[in-house]
Amino acid sequence: MNEKELFEKLSQAVFEGDGETLVSLVQRNIDEVDPLAMVEKGMMEGMTKVGNQFSEGQVYLPELLMAAEAWEEAMKILKPKLIESGASMKKRGTVVIGTVQTDIHEIGKNILANLLTIAGFDVHDIGCDAPAAKFLSKAQEVQADIIAASAIMSTTVPYQKDIVDLLDHKGLRDEYIFMVGGGVVTQEWADKIGADGYGELASDAVEIAKQLVSEKKGA
Amino acid sequence: MISFLEVLERATTGPMMSAKEYDMKLFIPAVRKVVKKYKIEFDPDNPCPCDDDLADRVYQAALELYSEVGTYCTDTERVIRFTKEEIEEAVYECPKVVYFGEGPDRVEWHGRMPDDNQLPHCHVGSGTNTSEDVALKMVEAYARITRAKTLSIPSLTTVGNLSGSSGSPMEVLAGINMMRIARDGLRRAGRPGMAIIDLHPSCTSGVATIAASNPDFGARKSDGWIVAPQAELKITYDSLNQVAYFSSWGANIGQEAGPILGGYAGGPEGATVLTLAYAFHGILVIRATYHLTYPIQMMPVCSTTPGMIFLISTSSQAFARNIGAPYYALGYASAGPATKQYFYEAAAYLLAIQASGIGIEDVHPNKAVGTNQALPIDSEFTCAFGHGNIGITRKEANSIIKKLMEKYLSGIKHPPKGRDLYECYDLETMKPDDELCGLYDEVIKELNGYGINFK
Repeated sequence: MNEKELFEKLSQAVFEGDGETLVSLVQRNIDEVDPLAMVEKGMMEGMTKVGNQFSEGQVYLPELLMAAEAWEEAMKILKPKLIESGASMKKRGTVVIGTVQTDIHEIGKNILANLLTIAGFDVHDIGCDAPAAKFLSKAQEVQADIIAASAIMSTTVPYQKDIVDLLDHKGLRDEYIFMVGGGVVTQEWADKIGADGYGELASDAVEIAKQLVSEKKGA
Repeated sequence: MISFLEVLERATTGPMMSAKEYDMKLFIPAVRKVVKKYKIEFDPDNPCPCDDDLADRVYQAALELYSEVGTYCTDTERVIRFTKEEIEEAVYECPKVVYFGEGPDRVEWHGRMPDDNQLPHCHVGSGTNTSEDVALKMVEAYARITRAKTLSIPSLTTVGNLSGSSGSPMEVLAGINMMRIARDGLRRAGRPGMAIIDLHPSCTSGVATIAASNPDFGARKSDGWIVAPQAELKITYDSLNQVAYFSSWGANIGQEAGPILGGYAGGPEGATVLTLAYAFHGILVIRATYHLTYPIQMMPVCSTTPGMIFLISTSSQAFARNIGAPYYALGYASAGPATKQYFYEAAAYLLAIQASGIGIEDVHPNKAVGTNQALPIDSEFTCAFGHGNIGITRKEANSIIKKLMEKYLSGIKHPPKGRDLYECYDLETMKPDDELCGLYDEVIKELNGYGINFK
C-alpha cells in the first residue's frame, strides 16, 4: 500500500468511526510513515468530511462521536511519535468550553466541542454545571483564546452573564473571546451581556470562532 | 408494576458505568440494532404513515431497546434496568385515565386510538418566558377559552428586577409567585378548579418546584406536576426527589421528555423508537400517569420537518395502539408568532398528532425561544382545530400535511420573525389587533381550502 492509499484508508476509517481498523493501520505504518502526514493528510480528511456532513444533516451525532472516539484512540499512539519527531499540528486556537452552573445539558456543548476540534482548535471541555470561576481558572491554565459557555434553559442563561461579570471584575475581559450558545440563547441576549460571539447552530459557532480568533491574532 | 422503592434500589445496585460508556457502548449500538431488526424506515413521502404494522414494530423495537439500555442515573453512575416482562407488566397496569382539576372544572383524560372519532384532549397555554406584568392576563386569556381542558402557565424568569437563576432563591420565589398569579388568573376567568398541568415551568430545580407546591400558594395535587429526564434516557437524583415527593403527596405526575432527532439516537428512525422508549421510562421511573413528549430536531431546530412529523406520527400511533394512557405532544414551529407560516406549521403538526391518536397542545412559535412569543390566539387555533377535525384519518392528514409542507418547508431555514405579544395585542383587553385578526381569518380560509375545519 502506497502512502496515498494509506491516507485514504485512514480517512475512511475515521469517517466510519472504525477505531479498530484505524488503530491497526496506524500501528502497522507508524515506523515508516511520517506521523504528522498520517494525521494531516489522512485522518483529518475523514474528520473534516464527517464534520461537514454533520453540519449538512447528512449524518448525525453518533457518527460524529464515533469518528472522534476513533481519532482519540489513534492519537494515543501517534502523540508520542509526534512529540519525539518535534512535529506539531497547527492549532487554530485554544478553547475552554462548558455548560454553565446548575445546567447539566451536554449534547449541544459536546457537538460544538467536536466540531471545534475538527476545525483545528485545541479544545478543553470542563463539562457541565460549571461555575464562572471554573471557566476562568481553566482558561488561565491553558492560556485559552476563547471561553465558550452553553446554557439550555431560561433559568440557567443568567449564569453566562456571571462569567462576563467575573472577567470584568478581574480586569481580564479583554484577554478572552467570550462566546455563548444553547437552546434558549439569542443574539439579543449575547449582545445584552456583551458576549463576543453567538451561533444558533454549532456549525455557525465554529465559523464565528474561526473569525474571532483570526481577528484576535491579527490584532 | 415494580415499586418506586425497587427503582431506587436499582439506581444504587445496577451496572456501573460512565455516562460516556452508556452513550457510546450501550445506547447507540442498541438503537442501531433495533432500528435494523424491526425494519423501521422513514419515508419522506409519507410523513404521517397509515401503517399499523409499522407502529407496532416501533413499539416492539422500543420495548427491546429499553429492556437493554434502561435508564442511566447520573448521580450513582448506574443503569436502572428492567426486563421485558417488567416493562410489559407496567404498561398493562399503568392508569389509562387521569383526572385533573376540581369541582365543575374537573376533567377526565383517557387514551385514544389512531383515526379515532373521539375529541382529543385539548391542552392550551405555554410554559415559555413571559414578562411578569402580563403573566396574569395571559393565564386569564388562556382559561377563558372554554374548550380548553387543561392549561400550561407561563414561565417567569424574573422577580422584580432580579433574574430567577436556577438554584438561586430567586428561582424559588419566581415559582411561588407564578403559582399565585396562575390561580388568581383562573379565578378571574371563572374557572378556579381548572388544572395547571405543566408545573412548574419557572422552576428547573427540585427544591423550587417542591416549594411552589404548597397549597397556600394555590397549588393542588389535582394539578399536574411534570418531571423531566435528561437526554437521552438519563435521570438525576434531583428529578427522583421530585418523584419521591409528588408520589408521596398523591399528586398527578407527568413526564416531559424531549428526545432529539440527530442526537444520540441518530436519524428519524432511531429517534422515533427512542421517543416511545421514553414512555416506558416515564411509567416506571418517573411514575407518570400522563406523558408530554416534545421531540426536537437538532438542525434545523424545530418540529415540523418531514423527519419530525414522521417521528411524532409514528411514535404517537405506537403509543396509542399499545399503551393507551394520556399522551400529548408539543411542537415547535420555526416561524415567529402572528405569521402565516406559523399557522401552516402548527396545522401540519396538529394534523399529525390528532390523526395519530393522542392529545393536542398549542404549537409554540419561534422554537419557543425568546420572551412573550406565545399568543392566546395560538390556543384558540388549537381548540378550534381539535373540535373541527374530529375523526380525521391518518391518510387524510398525510395528504394535507404534504400540501402544507410545500408552503412552509422552504421558509424553515430563515423563518419570519413575526410580532410578539406586545406588538400584536391590546394588553388592556387582551385582544389581537386588526392586522393579526385579518391574517388569522385569511389563514383559516386558506386552510379550509385544504380540507381542515375549524369549529
